[in-house]
Amino acid sequence: MTSDPQSTANQRIVEDLVSRLRRRQLVGSRATALETLLVLRQVVSKARFSNIDQLVNIIRSVGRRLVDAQPKGLYILVTYISYSFLELEHSVGNTVRKVLHHIREEYHTANEQPAAESSFSIAKFVLQGQPRKQATIPSSESRVPLKENDPDDPDSFARVLKPVLMEAIQDVFDELETVYDNISKNAKDHIHSDEIILTLGMSKTVDSFLKAAAHYRNYTVIVAETAPSYGGREMAKSLSSAGISTFLVPDSSIYALMSRVNKVILGAHAILANGGMFATSGSLLAATAARSYSTPVVVCAGQFKLTPLWNLYHEYGALDFGDPSAVLCFDEGDLVDKVDVVNPYYDYVRPELLDVFITNYGDHPPSSIYRLLKETYDDEDNEL
Amino acid sequence: MPVPEPESASAESQSLTKAQKKAEGRARQEQQRAAKAAQKQQQQSGQNAGSSSNKSKGSTVQKKPASESNKLSSAAASSSKDAPTTREGAVGADGLSDGPKSRGLRIFSHFGLPKTPGHQIKGDIHPAIVKLGLQFSEFKICGANARCIATLTAFKTVIQDYVTPPHNTLSRHLMTHLSPQITHLVTARPMSVTMGNAIRQLKLEISGSDIDLPEQDAKDALCQEIDNYIRDRIIIADEVIEDLAVKKIKDGDVVLTYARSSLVEKILLRAHSLNKRFSVVVIDSRPLLEGKTLLHSLTSVIPPIPCTYALLPALPSLITDADIVLLGAHSLHANGSVYSRAGTAMVAMLAKEHSVPVMLCCETYKFSETVMLDGFGKNELAPMKFSLDAPKSNSNLEVLNPLYDSTPASCITAVVTEVGLIPPTSISSIPLALGRTTL
Repeated sequence: MTSDPQSTANQRIVEDLVSRLRRRQLVGSRATALETLLVLRQVVSKARFSNIDQLVNIIRSVGRRLVDAQPKGLYILVTYISYSFLELEHSVGNTVRKVLHHIREEYHTANEQPAAESSFSIAKFVLQGQPRKQATIPSSESRVPLKENDPDDPDSFARVLKPVLMEAIQDVFDELETVYDNISKNAKDHIHSDEIILTLGMSKTVDSFLKAAAHYRNYTVIVAETAPSYGGREMAKSLSSAGISTFLVPDSSIYALMSRVNKVILGAHAILANGGMFATSGSLLAATAARSYSTPVVVCAGQFKLTPLWNLYHEYGALDFGDPSAVLCFDEGDLVDKVDVVNPYYDYVRPELLDVFITNYGDHPPSSIYRLLKETYDDEDNEL
Repeated sequence: MPVPEPESASAESQSLTKAQKKAEGRARQEQQRAAKAAQKQQQQSGQNAGSSSNKSKGSTVQKKPASESNKLSSAAASSSKDAPTTREGAVGADGLSDGPKSRGLRIFSHFGLPKTPGHQIKGDIHPAIVKLGLQFSEFKICGANARCIATLTAFKTVIQDYVTPPHNTLSRHLMTHLSPQITHLVTARPMSVTMGNAIRQLKLEISGSDIDLPEQDAKDALCQEIDNYIRDRIIIADEVIEDLAVKKIKDGDVVLTYARSSLVEKILLRAHSLNKRFSVVVIDSRPLLEGKTLLHSLTSVIPPIPCTYALLPALPSLITDADIVLLGAHSLHANGSVYSRAGTAMVAMLAKEHSVPVMLCCETYKFSETVMLDGFGKNELAPMKFSLDAPKSNSNLEVLNPLYDSTPASCITAVVTEVGLIPPTSISSIPLALGRTTL
């Protein structure tokens, strides 16, 4: 980034978000995604650029800054994993990627390169997923020819493109705002009358999904408490206050009750390209127990949780550890000195254990997540 | 119903001639009642109902009022009979009986209500048994072995304090004296399989005791039998199991265990005393959090055993490090499934998935001839005192704390018993191998 006065203002808002992420003052994928989007909007609105590459570089550098700034899980297996894998709040990087994708799309539309899009080939399909639909929406505004790197007026490019870019960012913003509604709109097709649903932890996505289904169906939810955060208690309170018949059980009884459960519905922290996911610790136990009873496992997650990463070597998810006092509190003084206490935040759940992802872009089996990724992000942004 | 014919006829005529004037009919009836003092209040109301309903129909139905009032009263009786039962049912399921809840209640209804301490004492209960019942219901004595030993010890006191009533023999009467004691313990907390097995053995001994033996000798003989049972089937058995299981722990191993089994605890301490160098991963979960007790005893030896403690959701992160999983059991069933503390099944399942051997440590007296298909059919709920910080139950929310689950035989590598290491599927052959002739 060039050192013009505007970039210091940019840096300030970026640093502000970075510190909040670091201190975990900002938690939750959607909240993080929204904040990231706000920062990006600021950055784009203040940025000075005379061609698309400059703009992309500015956004990328902000994205990298945000991603790098997050607390890293320290684990011996780090050597196996690509560096970017260690980001914890994946939605930051995902939002940056999504914005980049939209910006490029707008740029291509504005630039109108129909020749490149007219010829479809299998090779191209494999490379990019579905052909982009950009040609179908001709921009309504009067077409001003885009002139990159104009030596006379270096800002002309930015001036022409910025309104379109803002619109693109607003689109992403709107998508995030409505993500729960869109995920929940088909809830009644997934939950039927008198079913017994098992869920765990506190996931706002699952919460809204179950509540949406409760408008149409009369069913029972069993919520596992999910120690040591006990997010399940919060979830059970929320669901029962919406009139859903709810049972709160300890994590230990998941297996005992699984034989009566019709469906397991989980939330996700990040969905990976291979169709696996990171989710609240406890999810792997529930998914494995469900598999042994052949109970379907349904994952509800917004599209912003799609992460273009593969998890081939890391068989389990403990990249990030929480406060041990939640597990063994300091009242047990003499024990605390002698005992190692482990409190991981997340599980890695393999794609074989999952049946379907319900996203705001429809339902997808784990095996087709990679295609959804190709449509959502550009390949060159996988490494920010 | 003894309704006098003339009366009802006159009443009928009343209501016929003055069909519109109901009040007057009633007044006339009052007069009739004064004349016939024997007429009961209920009959009169039946008469009233009958006459008022029949007033437009005519005198063709003479007997109808009586039969109708009969029906009414019987319906009232049946409804009043129904009401308490439904109320009882609702109370039995935690006092929640709202419409949408009923389904949820039904599937969990057989779990039984967690017992409140200080339950009623019915009949002639020995003080030792009353005390034991309280200890059971408050979970002061918890665990299959501890409960069995405590029960048998209490029964020794009961037998010693027992006096055979005249015209009776000890071998025939003692059991009728013991059965209310057993019932009392069961009301405190459902009976464990170990207690059931021990009591069956005790019954056998009682019925087989010699009639000609002096009473005190017979009682001493029975107490001796009880002592032998505790020694042979529990204490010595545990020592043999310790010897067998310790051989499977090698230097440098990471032993993973779940909650607290008294037997696993003894095995780990024995291995430590044999100077084996190993570390222990203790996995624990609500509602009982018994693993903390195990941690205390493992870390209080010198030098302390290196321990890692985590709650059940963290298990996937730790199971990959484990070399062997040691588990305890409440009971072992004929189809090889293991009834044990809730959560055990998931530990065994995940261990199997990661190819970590699962050793189940279990004395043969915990074997049961029944078959268990899942952990749902038979279970027990922990009392509310174990979920104080959980949200309170309301009309839509219910807090359930099942205590047990059932691990399928496929998740168990081997069962360590005092007769050796056996696969869980050959459980059913063990009682015969031990010399029992009948199943």
